[in-house]
Amino acid sequence: MLPNFAYIRARTKQEALNNLGSEGAHVHAGGTDILGCARAEVFEVEKIVSISRLEELRGITRSSDGSLRIGALTTISEIAQSPLVQESYPGLAQAAGDVASPQLRNQGTLGGNLCQRPRCWYFRGDFHCAKKGGDLCYAVEGENRYHAILGGDPCYIVHPSDTAPMLVALGAEIHISGAAGSRSMPLQDFFVLPDQDLSRENLLEPGEIVTEVLLPGASGIKSSYRKIRERGAWDFALVSVALAVRMNGSTIAEARLVLGGVAPVPWRAEAAERALIGKQPSPSVAADAAAAAVAGAQPLEQNAYKVLLAKGAILESLLAL
Amino acid sequence: MTEARYYERGPIPETPEPKQRQDHWTATKVVGQALPRVDAYQRLSGAAIYPSDVNLPEMLYGAVLRCPHAHAKVQSLDTTAAEQMPGVRAILTAESPGTDIPWQPESEGPASVLFDSVCRFEGEAVAAVAAATPYQAHDALRTIRVVYDVLPAVSNPQAALEPGAPKVHPDGNSSGEPSTYERGDVNAGFDAADAVVEETFAVPFLLHTPLEPHGCVARWEGDKLTLWESTQGVYNVQSQTAAALDLPLSHVRVIGHYVGGGFGSKLAIGKYTLIAALLAKQTAKPVKVFLSREETLLCVGNRPGGTMRLKAGAKRDGSLTALEFEALGSGGAYSPYGTGLFDWQIRDLYNCSNVRTKGQSAYINAGEERPMRAPGHPQGSWALEQILDALAEKLGLDPLELRLRNLTTVSQARGGIPYTSTGFKECLEEGARAFGWAAARARPAADGALVRGVGMGGCTWIAGAGGPPSTAIVKYFADGSVNLNMGASDIGTGTKTVMAMVVAEELGVPLERIQIEHADTGTTEFATASGGSKTVPTESPAVRAAALDCKEQLLVMAAADLETPVGDLQLHEGEVFSSRDSSKRMAVKEISQFQRRRTVVGIGYRGPNPEGKATCPFAAQFCEVEVDKLTGEVRVLRFLGAHDSGRVMSRLTYDNQVYGGIVMGIGFGLMERRVLDEKQTGKMVNRNWHDYKIPTAMDVPAAIESLPIEIQDLECNTTGAKGLGEPVTIPTAAAIANAVYHATGVRVTEAPINPTRLLELLAAHDQRRA
Amino acid sequence: MEDNHRKKKNAAEPGVTRRHFLTGTGLGAVGLATGVPAVEGDTKTDSAVVIEAGQTVPVTLQINGVRKRLLVEPRWSLAYVLREQLVMTGTKLGCDRGECGACTVLVDDVPRYSCMTLTLEAEDSKITTLEGLLDGEELGDVQRAFAEKDAFQCGYCTPGQVMAVEGLLRSNPDPSIEEIRTGVSGNLCRCGTYPNIFKAAHLAADMKRGRGGGS
Repeated sequence: MLPNFAYIRARTKQEALNNLGSEGAHVHAGGTDILGCARAEVFEVEKIVSISRLEELRGITRSSDGSLRIGALTTISEIAQSPLVQESYPGLAQAAGDVASPQLRNQGTLGGNLCQRPRCWYFRGDFHCAKKGGDLCYAVEGENRYHAILGGDPCYIVHPSDTAPMLVALGAEIHISGAAGSRSMPLQDFFVLPDQDLSRENLLEPGEIVTEVLLPGASGIKSSYRKIRERGAWDFALVSVALAVRMNGSTIAEARLVLGGVAPVPWRAEAAERALIGKQPSPSVAADAAAAAVAGAQPLEQNAYKVLLAKGAILESLLAL
Repeated sequence: MTEARYYERGPIPETPEPKQRQDHWTATKVVGQALPRVDAYQRLSGAAIYPSDVNLPEMLYGAVLRCPHAHAKVQSLDTTAAEQMPGVRAILTAESPGTDIPWQPESEGPASVLFDSVCRFEGEAVAAVAAATPYQAHDALRTIRVVYDVLPAVSNPQAALEPGAPKVHPDGNSSGEPSTYERGDVNAGFDAADAVVEETFAVPFLLHTPLEPHGCVARWEGDKLTLWESTQGVYNVQSQTAAALDLPLSHVRVIGHYVGGGFGSKLAIGKYTLIAALLAKQTAKPVKVFLSREETLLCVGNRPGGTMRLKAGAKRDGSLTALEFEALGSGGAYSPYGTGLFDWQIRDLYNCSNVRTKGQSAYINAGEERPMRAPGHPQGSWALEQILDALAEKLGLDPLELRLRNLTTVSQARGGIPYTSTGFKECLEEGARAFGWAAARARPAADGALVRGVGMGGCTWIAGAGGPPSTAIVKYFADGSVNLNMGASDIGTGTKTVMAMVVAEELGVPLERIQIEHADTGTTEFATASGGSKTVPTESPAVRAAALDCKEQLLVMAAADLETPVGDLQLHEGEVFSSRDSSKRMAVKEISQFQRRRTVVGIGYRGPNPEGKATCPFAAQFCEVEVDKLTGEVRVLRFLGAHDSGRVMSRLTYDNQVYGGIVMGIGFGLMERRVLDEKQTGKMVNRNWHDYKIPTAMDVPAAIESLPIEIQDLECNTTGAKGLGEPVTIPTAAAIANAVYHATGVRVTEAPINPTRLLELLAAHDQRRA
Repeated sequence: MEDNHRKKKNAAEPGVTRRHFLTGTGLGAVGLATGVPAVEGDTKTDSAVVIEAGQTVPVTLQINGVRKRLLVEPRWSLAYVLREQLVMTGTKLGCDRGECGACTVLVDDVPRYSCMTLTLEAEDSKITTLEGLLDGEELGDVQRAFAEKDAFQCGYCTPGQVMAVEGLLRSNPDPSIEEIRTGVSGNLCRCGTYPNIFKAAHLAADMKRGRGGGS
């Protein structure tokens, strides 16, 4: 059962920001992740600041320059079903449609999907792990079949989001508001590795909220998202491949390949991208790119399969171009 | 004998033989039809009150504090803060009067008490609280300060038996001498074989996870206790609770009209039952204790996992010459039945003169096993059905053909007594025909990343005969409507619907005019718990006998009015008529004696099973899978279950069982496993439904076909029904493994089969071939 | 505790505005034993609504066309309030962590997990539970289709499955088999009746379309 907390319903963004600064205050958008963490006592939740009624943060709009603005409170279902998204960013529609379950997609928001806490069973369970201020990343010696093969040290979580790898591949920019003002950055730069900061997965400061995600125009961009999981619904990616390419005739002019499920952040496989640019898609080009993507992988005892899986999934994604 | 535990728990109190002669049904009007369930309205409208729905005036909520360590000793426990928390009304600890209750005193496992100072598994009960809301109860739990002396833990049976392993119990970790079985001369059998195959298999511990959590509501009226418990058997709950609390059986009324799934985990009470009763006593208020989902995964049962070695030999013609099987498993911290019935398929299903089996069980620091849908059988089937495919390949035989060459009509494991019926051959042959086995098997392999394969498996189930005791009462009202009274629970298999159809068959009463009173020790007759696929073959003959008793009384009364021999009279839809003389007819309500009496009560008993014979269900299942060799994903494309469970009593619920068993088997085959943090804390890391994955709608084929093989069994009982609910899930996972092998050439001996395991095996396979 | 005037189906619901929240309107009608004293909240309208931990506040919910007023704590889930406070036990609770779907209700016609929805968050929304699909005492289309196709066994996940199908059909009256699968993929059925649930969803779609759609 949920522990006790105070509840604040913000009616304006400013009210939300005013209330989020204090210790133990957490933002509630769709609520699916924060309530889960509160119930499992992953961290202390003293105050829930609900922003769910801030209509200004909701919605998908296209600008005259072709870019797309997705408000942070837009639900995952709304993204998956948006004709604008389906038409220009099919990979994003696919990624959103692959999130969790229909009910959670109806409730969960884009901001929440990007900022959700990791699903590592040690972090979510009653283990005082390094990420929670303990001494040990239990995954190193423990049950680590779902953990990171890239960028892990000293904490081997994988980033749980489906939309994040796809949005990074699409070159999205994230907008953040805090009491001190607003800022924005490429989404790729938003996420932080555990060796930079063990306690968090992104640059959101206490008291800040994500307000929107901006996608550049997708003219000429092909995108796809391929998620491999153990069961067909309500499961996080063992590995996922977000791919965005721009073709120039029959050659690949631009490519972004981002992996989910393999690292504590959406993992941009730049070596793979380099192996693709200027090439014509072919099985051997695809195989080279796939090998390059996982070249630096350092599997733990139980997750070496992820190296094979990432290669296989990349291969499939590229061959489907 | 471990098997005795599953089909006969102690001496069985026989019920008398039915009074009426019961001819076998030849043609049936109602039985066997596809009719909606008699309780569909209740279950679909929200009118059904499940035990977890019970809400009584002034009801309090209980919650249990559980040990967070796999193995620990409680050094001290301080409830001072909890006592001051808002809403708290009672706290129970080992110090509280009346809590010194032996836990499971009838078990063959080690002794324990309600709040044991040594916690031998994570989730062991340490204290409990009752409060005004469940939130407040959990708030209070959070403030109880327990100092534990954390002890080393052991998490798997192999490690438990190694020298120097942490001791789960002072006497060590062996659950006793291995159970062994032997017939014929196994060494000679292997010597005589033209082909021998041997393989080691492993299966994980699985969890029942019924949708309704375990729990109950307890209410005292003076010294009488009423329990609304989510259970498969109200009489089990009554007798276990009465024994634990030293109450007369008559003072414990247990009501379990509905139960949101059990699969074997709700055959017995839990500590929560006694905790609810004690909290209710202490507060003089009704108390509801329902476990959290996490608790249900930790401490109310599991299906034992373990390792198995199986060696099989056969002649060139496919006839088996020897089977040798060894298993190592664990029943958790308290149950010695870690490999119970693992070997039953090996001993009984296929004709083989020389068989040797051995099962060894070790205690580990984990929750105790409870019977789970066909205890031991799916594990053994995982090994047996795969080794048969390996043998068939070695002999150059089709897997189906190999099985057909090893059929038997006697129960070899029971000393060779005949089955009352076996449709195993028909299951294999007709199932294969309906599935299109031969064509699918002969299809050339695809050369891309997506490959398909088909596989199959057969099975029998040790129980499924049912048997005494059971008593049922049919009450015929003045207007021709009927009340059926029976103690059995309907755990979702359609028990109520089947029994109503039996009454309708005999009394010609439409289903909608039958009301059923059941699963209440205060008002209904004794029945054993619903489990082991024995409810329909146990209860349906008793219900039939009650209906016939009722009918006979009515006909005798009518015969007096009509002045005609009773033997000529028939009853249908409220009318009695003579089969010889069409002028002799009257409405039941006009029978003069009946008009005065207003009701006729028929009593039926479940008679004994035939002596010297065995009654078992049989099945063959066939499936097609698609494997993505690049990603290791396995998709089940279609499934067919051909089942001989005797007479099909109710077609809709029959097919539904087949679908459900196959879906559960898909979970075993493709995704389910309990994961303990073996190398560090011994704690369970996947105690929720996101990390312990059971199949969703995305994981099962829409095309599951149920093919009943309706063998007439004139001997088993008076309705000809055999059990169905367990065999439907026994060979499923093995059939998938065989299909994956057919598709890829990779034999996955350790379940489950998914990318986390299959990809590396595929890579190794490719390397070997290169 | 509840208004007795049952609204006609599809009739517009009275607007419950944000101002009702924490105003005293509900206090006269509350009286549920919660073990926690009711606290009159801050009724100022020019700042964020703040409820301290452990306080109860009056809230008005619109459930199946009926307005219900009661006191809730901030942490009380909609599933808890439906089941234990309002004793509307058609909604089941299987996991209390958004993983099984037994607690699925429609919030403004959209399926959600009521166990992962704070009751305070459901204020101002139209909540539909299993009971709300009944037409008087008659089963609704989806419920009847489930009966006909035997799309349940133990029945405990069933209310959630029914609500998931109802929600699906309200937004997609003619779903394909893949859309049906996806639509119920957030609802676990351990009895494994999925094939019959698929059939029932198809039948329910036919039944609804047969009568010109709409519930």
